Amino acid sequence: MKELDLKIEDMSDPILARAEQRIEEALLKAEVSTQLHKDEIEITSFPVAIMMVASTTDKLMKKRYALAEAKRAYNLLNEEENEDKILEIASAFNWKIRLADDTPPYEFALSFMDYLKNATKFQAKKWKLVNRVLVDGEVYLTKDDTARLLEEEVRAHIEKKLDVKGKFALPQNVADRVERLKKTFTKQKGKIQFEEFPAGVVISAFPPCIKKLYDDIRSGHHLSHIGRFALTSFLTNIGMTPEDVINLYRSLSDFNERLTRYQVEHIAGGRGSRTKYLPPQCTTLRTHGVCTNMDEICRGIRHPLAHYRKKLRTIKTEVPLERAQK
Amino acid sequence: MMETKTFARNKFLEYYQKHSASIKPPTQIEKREFGFLLFKEKVMIRHKSSKNSDDLTKLLTTIVPSDAYYSSAYYEKPEEKMEQKGWLGADLIFDIDADHIPTPCAKTHDKWTCNNCGTVGKGVLPEKCPACGEQKFDEKTWPCEICLESAKKETIKLIDTLTKDFGFPTKDISVSFSGHRGYHLHIENRAVQALDSMARKEIVDYILGIGLETGFHGLEERGEKKSRVLAGPGLDDLGWRGRISRGTYEFLLNATPEELEKIGLKKKFIEALTQHEKKILKSWEEKGPWGILMRGGVTSWKKIAQRGVEMQSAKIDTVVTTDIHRLIRLNNTLHGKTGLKKIEVPFNDIEKFDPFKSAIAFKKGAVKVLVSDAPEFRLGDQTYGPYRNRQVELPTAAALLLLCKGMAEAKEEK
Repeated sequence: MKELDLKIEDMSDPILARAEQRIEEALLKAEVSTQLHKDEIEITSFPVAIMMVASTTDKLMKKRYALAEAKRAYNLLNEEENEDKILEIASAFNWKIRLADDTPPYEFALSFMDYLKNATKFQAKKWKLVNRVLVDGEVYLTKDDTARLLEEEVRAHIEKKLDVKGKFALPQNVADRVERLKKTFTKQKGKIQFEEFPAGVVISAFPPCIKKLYDDIRSGHHLSHIGRFALTSFLTNIGMTPEDVINLYRSLSDFNERLTRYQVEHIAGGRGSRTKYLPPQCTTLRTHGVCTNMDEICRGIRHPLAHYRKKLRTIKTEVPLERAQK
Repeated sequence: MMETKTFARNKFLEYYQKHSASIKPPTQIEKREFGFLLFKEKVMIRHKSSKNSDDLTKLLTTIVPSDAYYSSAYYEKPEEKMEQKGWLGADLIFDIDADHIPTPCAKTHDKWTCNNCGTVGKGVLPEKCPACGEQKFDEKTWPCEICLESAKKETIKLIDTLTKDFGFPTKDISVSFSGHRGYHLHIENRAVQALDSMARKEIVDYILGIGLETGFHGLEERGEKKSRVLAGPGLDDLGWRGRISRGTYEFLLNATPEELEKIGLKKKFIEALTQHEKKILKSWEEKGPWGILMRGGVTSWKKIAQRGVEMQSAKIDTVVTTDIHRLIRLNNTLHGKTGLKKIEVPFNDIEKFDPFKSAIAFKKGAVKVLVSDAPEFRLGDQTYGPYRNRQVELPTAAALLLLCKGMAEAKEEK
């Protein structure tokens, strides 16, 4: 807005209306439409929408809006016939990228650092660096790959823009529109239920990797450093108290109460930085050899906690809960 | 008789007093954290910082650590607690340790003792004690020439991937012998510093071939039903494609029928492979062997190629590279397990590099030691041992190696 030297007070109704619509589309359909025939409105309504969303403190709303705008960008990029335009946009994000259309099916070559910055957010196997053509520091990409990576860059960029500290006042007519959007979103959110873990710990819902670690420790076996971290962070995240976790380690021959207490409480967020640690993702566990006996659920998830949540749902409807010891 | 640890510590002190000039401080020394392992207490003192190389020398000569480390990371305040340090970035580091590589010597020189029942064994550490099932062991390892040669080969593979695939300029890469059982590789440039743990993990997976699916590298069935053909990458292809192909070639050239069966190939397919051996060998001059045996289909060839991937990947330690707060051994400092120094390997001469010559820190003097049990070993151009319950007079470096390994007691300095 500053760059364009625009003031939100001066915005015309069509622009404000389109800004509101952009957000509404994001919240309801998870994708912002493209209305290129009204070029000026389309361009100006974007920073207005950003201000509107930024004025709320709703993190989820910000996330959804950023994602939906990024999808819009992806659609535009993927339809773009002019490769120079894509290069231009990529360069605006400081990507080191060049045209490589002499090596079909690839059209672009991108520095692996810029690639990793975005591709590590994707889970599909084709995005793993090891499954790409990497030569002399450059990853070879199709146009669709490039558009997808740019979508991610755009998403992160918008999220950053929306992440403003402190409140700022909007003119009444704009604030009214924001209020309306908030209400719409609250209604919508009712449909997307976010489940919390129940207080009890259900062992039979553990993913195979955690089950193995848990069984190992109970039979007094030694765990690797990352194995201990995965198990501890998993258990504290599903609601086991630090005390119960410490007791679990008590059966080990080299048990050291003071050290174990320090580490468990640290992971549970009771010490130092007070951050509660999440267990590592599946891919990380795989890298360090913790992943084992993958089951059907494993194929559909990428985090051990997601596995637990999913399994819990199926168990709940079947058998009475088996509670953790003590 | 001298107390062995005191003797070793005195020797280390002597080294740090005389050779402090050879210890090149890490770049941006003031942003690094230092850590020192104490001789007697075996405790690590962390969160130390030093402003310049004089400062560092002072730390080394007053603490006299058995091992000295610095952080691959840069911090605003390296002396603070972990959460308050203010991480600014980290060099990209790799560790290749003989412990993680299957070696031809099968580690017969390593000994383990079960902490629980006292059972003793040789070779690679078992998962659990064969006698009592416990998993805690006391390990005595030995830096053997075969182990280090294997580690060097892995290092050369790693350099190949880092320069050709990742395009790192050789001037940014430094390779060192750790002073014990492996090699370290260090990449310092601005761009890599910002890589987060996730990105580093992707680099690790690339180097080890973890999650690699040969289908993404051109090993696939092409065409419609009747004209279906199997195609795969060529020997000279770039990146993993060429490596898959070369690994497959290497594997097929040496694999016994038992090994082929072990990777899950059907008997008939193995027979066909042996039968068409010549044809397969010849096929590498053109499109490769992929299309020759259609019966096993793409699944069989993928299994073979997967073994090729294993042979071509460089066996790096996964934890070291992904840890963005890692402490690593400081170049030209002594290794507490050997008394040898960590030393940089000349990049273009790595093939000829002799760790048992270049890493010798003590070149003068002799020590009389009582050796309980030591294998035959070489230092420089001299070969020593094996010794068993014998008093011998050895050059300082050889004596210190046995002392640090806990295989001898110091008797008298000559």
